[in-house]
Amino acid sequence: MSPLQLSRLLLRKDVAELERLAGWIEGFTRQGTSPDVSFAVQLCLEEAVANIIMYGGAKDGPLEIAVELERNGTTLVARIEDNGRQFDPTRAPPPAPAASLEEAKVGDLGIHLMRSFASGMDYERCDGRNRLTFRFFEPPEQRR
Amino acid sequence: MDMSVDDLAGGITKVVLRGRFDTTGAVVVELPFNKLVTEKRKIIVDLSAVNFLASYGIRVLLVGAKIVNGKGGSLVILCPDNNVAKVLKTAGMDALIPIHQTEAAAMAALAS
Repeated sequence: MSPLQLSRLLLRKDVAELERLAGWIEGFTRQGTSPDVSFAVQLCLEEAVANIIMYGGAKDGPLEIAVELERNGTTLVARIEDNGRQFDPTRAPPPAPAASLEEAKVGDLGIHLMRSFASGMDYERCDGRNRLTFRFFEPPEQRR
Repeated sequence: MDMSVDDLAGGITKVVLRGRFDTTGAVVVELPFNKLVTEKRKIIVDLSAVNFLASYGIRVLLVGAKIVNGKGGSLVILCPDNNVAKVLKTAGMDALIPIHQTEAAAMAALAS
């Protein structure tokens, strides 16, 4: 059993922070994570944090976003906490499939991608903060 | 991320994108990509060297395909079967934009 590994990153409300987030995830997943799980973590966190940065204004003071990555054996857990307005992505309806290119709606794909690429996704609101938790399960034979 | 453009036979334009097609990357290529799709009618968007794709990148591709389609042209995607292709399929793009795994197949689709 691998020892518990934990890392935490604080982000500001600035789209440029997404690049820092990507580099930080890359560093965390460089060892002991399969390319598929690494990709899924990158995708879910990019989508979730981009949503918070673009739409999640805080009522009082600056928006603060804290991201944690934790690996325990073959499970990788990602937590995102922010003090922005209440938003539960797990309750967002799935996008309706478009009948044609002309009718296809632009946008609204981020949450659908998160749901599809994470093994599990949970939301809770506590102490005026949103907390979104993703779980990624690593098939042991695919670890690098 | 970066973008380069090759003119191929038969009036086909190949746009090669490289790197992470995430929010950061999409913001960089969005304007030159939009300019290209307004100017050209037969376009292959080569994602072979794209190692990551997020929803903002999909948005750029979808808007581009709509613009080309709206003027009677066509845009196809060249993408090997990898995680980037999985993102496109999960987002339902394979039902809206033709996705080919080889350049020959993409060229053939635009040849008619």
